[in-house]
Amino acid sequence: MVAKIIQIILSPILALIVGVFFLGLARKVMARIHWRYGPPLIQPVIDMIKLFYQKGVSHGRMFDLGIVLSLAGSIVVVLFLPFGQICPLSNSGGLLVILYIMLLAPLGMALSGGQGANPNISIGISRKLILSLGYEVPLLLILLAVMTHYKTISIMEVVSSQQSTSWSIISFPLFLSGLSYFLILPAILGIRPFDMSSAPQEISSGPMTEYGGKYLALATIEHAFVLFISIALFVNLFLGGAANPVIFFVKMLVVFVPGLCINAVFPRFRIEQAIKYLWKWPTLLALLGLIVTLAVRS
Amino acid sequence: MSLEILLIIAFGGALFTYLVGKVSYKGRDFLAVAISLALVAFVACLYGKAGEETFYYGFLGLNLVLRLNMLSWFFAITIAVVGALSIIFSLSYIRTREKTDFYFLMMLLVNAAMLGIVLAGDLISFYIFWEIMSWSAFLLISYNRGPALAAGMKYIIMSIIGSVCFLVGILSLYVSFDTLNISQVASAITSVSPGYILFILTAFGIAFGIKNAVLPFHTWLPDAHSEAPAPFSAVLSGILIKMGTYGFLLILYVIVGLKLFVSLGSGIFSFHSVLCLLGAVTIIIPTFIAMLQTDAKRLLAWSTIGQAGYIILAIAFGTNLALAGGIFHFFNHALFKALLFFAVGAVEFRTQTRDLDSLGGLAKKMPVVFIGTLVGICALIGVPLTSGFVSKWLIYKTLILEGSGFLAFFALAGTWGTILYSYKLIHNVFLGQLPEKHKTVEKAPFSMQLPVVVLSFAILFFGILPGIPLKVINAIGISFGFESLNVDLWGVTSETGALNTVNIFAAVLVAAALVWLVFRSTTKSVPVTQEDSYAAGAHTPVDKYHYTAEFYNPLHRMIKPFLRDVIDEFYYWIASSVRSLAGGVRRIYSGDVGYYCFYIILFLSLLIFVQMKWKPW
Repeated sequence: MVAKIIQIILSPILALIVGVFFLGLARKVMARIHWRYGPPLIQPVIDMIKLFYQKGVSHGRMFDLGIVLSLAGSIVVVLFLPFGQICPLSNSGGLLVILYIMLLAPLGMALSGGQGANPNISIGISRKLILSLGYEVPLLLILLAVMTHYKTISIMEVVSSQQSTSWSIISFPLFLSGLSYFLILPAILGIRPFDMSSAPQEISSGPMTEYGGKYLALATIEHAFVLFISIALFVNLFLGGAANPVIFFVKMLVVFVPGLCINAVFPRFRIEQAIKYLWKWPTLLALLGLIVTLAVRS
Repeated sequence: MSLEILLIIAFGGALFTYLVGKVSYKGRDFLAVAISLALVAFVACLYGKAGEETFYYGFLGLNLVLRLNMLSWFFAITIAVVGALSIIFSLSYIRTREKTDFYFLMMLLVNAAMLGIVLAGDLISFYIFWEIMSWSAFLLISYNRGPALAAGMKYIIMSIIGSVCFLVGILSLYVSFDTLNISQVASAITSVSPGYILFILTAFGIAFGIKNAVLPFHTWLPDAHSEAPAPFSAVLSGILIKMGTYGFLLILYVIVGLKLFVSLGSGIFSFHSVLCLLGAVTIIIPTFIAMLQTDAKRLLAWSTIGQAGYIILAIAFGTNLALAGGIFHFFNHALFKALLFFAVGAVEFRTQTRDLDSLGGLAKKMPVVFIGTLVGICALIGVPLTSGFVSKWLIYKTLILEGSGFLAFFALAGTWGTILYSYKLIHNVFLGQLPEKHKTVEKAPFSMQLPVVVLSFAILFFGILPGIPLKVINAIGISFGFESLNVDLWGVTSETGALNTVNIFAAVLVAAALVWLVFRSTTKSVPVTQEDSYAAGAHTPVDKYHYTAEFYNPLHRMIKPFLRDVIDEFYYWIASSVRSLAGGVRRIYSGDVGYYCFYIILFLSLLIFVQMKWKPW
């Protein structure tokens, strides 16, 4: 019982640290690829502390509650995701619940932004939702292939059966799905070439246009959680999870850094181009993965 | 037993309300509400009872029977509750309109007829109540006149086609078994050939499929739902089309029975998998069409078709988890779709429009309706903590574990489409910028807020404690011959992954409280008006931009070419061909006596010719 409570407290904190570290790392790596020196690794932390002391504007109740809901949603998802062997709520509904609680974050953000009454926000949210429809199609096929292959909806069982056999990414039908997940990862993370929903130079950060002060700080924390969740999901489903948090963290790094290198050199897609890309190669791969998995199973 | 009294109150109350309305409209309003609430209480008291009673002897040599069991009770209570709330909502919605007595008569009649359908113990009384429901629904759909007349016509024509198929099925059953009592037919049907069962299932399937708006029989629904008065749209979408669901349950599980139904045909060509596939298609296509709608009620109407697809898919799939998910989803859909139609109706009542491209920013003007809509769309999407989540979770889980990856994909992808259109609904009506012309909008009247609040509360309550309805649903499943589910108050447990809604609820609550604490304890934010927004240093002119118009334009451009409603166009083509054919036939009747004499002589000479040539007589 005590161990469980400690886990519940520990896992969001760890997730936050890792997520914020990734934010800092992203800026550093990007800068180096651009031949700049870049800010220090803890720059996101400094920014956040500063932002908490600044004043923001509020457009109403939903504007406040939306961001709270969004961040709370992300924290809850972390409780369902195994991080090493830490997974406090593994037995309350499995992958389907994760999939659904992952909704709370964008929904809260969209509701909050919606009350901001700014055209840039509306454009940003519209693009964000269309993009998420775009990457959910391959993502669902991937998750279904994994769940069908392991005949379970519990993420803990997926992890443990990988540890007893081999990682999904190198096992026969699932490597197709794993490849497809890697191809859509930038879209899930919302980094270039898929950053059309925030697009600072074009629609002044989209849904975050009206945010300032603590709103912006909370939005940054939320972003850190999203980074953690999407990469941790990949590590759990395809790289066999990990026996302890350190190895898990190393695996996350291995996934994240190649993603960053793509991010640093690509220009932004338009939303139509993004959908066309997402519904072409990643979807085909994922579809193939699911078909083969179903064929092997029956 | 007291089922007769229940129906007498329902039908008699409807007529009595009409008569009282001629004297005093206040008395009529009071009576309508009282009767509908009395029905709720009456049905609630019948919980757990079961039995059959004959209420009319010798109708065409058949006894008409009423029957109560868990299945009919569960449907009856849903009908009674949604019906009562729609009557309460109607009070202020309809007050300023014409022919309100007639409106209340029809509303109560529809509810009474639906109660009759679920309590019917033989197929003839089922059919009689079914027709009463169809016709009174037709009158209500066309209540608004104008385009509503065409919508009603479309509805009733398709309904009649369904009824004819129904009648063919009934007659065939009567010829084969000499009885129409549901339990007697069910015991007799095990001895007939699979081909005959397939024929029966197809005949009834068309009838119920039209009512339940399964593709390709869905075309009446978008017009009918958007043109009907809002309280009736709620009834229509929430429970009336679910009479098709009830019919499917009745024919598949009560009459034909699980074993027979699953064993019809083989592989992909079995009745069972074709019905699953139809359900899956019904989920996905209407969901995409809903995203492109600009009329709030039309958007909800397409969404209704999509959600009905989930129910059909789950029922047709035929495992105990899927069936529980399907029946639970019927219940949830009745709650949240009624709620959403009430909300849109309240907005329409205050702003006189439901065009999503011209509304916006009403959250501050109509806070209760806004929160109701928020709960409604969360349940529609299936966000955890709403009841919609539990039913969808059950459906997905069984689809995945039974290895039907593609059906699961359709179901899940439909949900992501649902997010897009439901966000569009709430954003375009309640968020974004409030247009100048709606600055003076008042909040909705109490009689409209009450149903919204009740339904929102119910959705959250059953979302956190899903065990209450699941217990009833489990009893239904057992009566169909399924294994019992392991239900407790906060979810379903089984070896292959449990669901614990209370854990999720606690986690979300604690996390939200923590974040809220952080949010409150830091610097206070400055409230600003909607005009005071960031525009890169430039001044945004008031009312110049409409922030909600063409919300998903890029997606719209991409998918529009793929989403023509070919089926609707095909039906219209049939209709116009029949019309031109009939026009051709009409020329024969020229009105000139000479022509008629000519026809008679022609016919006689034909007969004489035949007789002389072949001598058949």
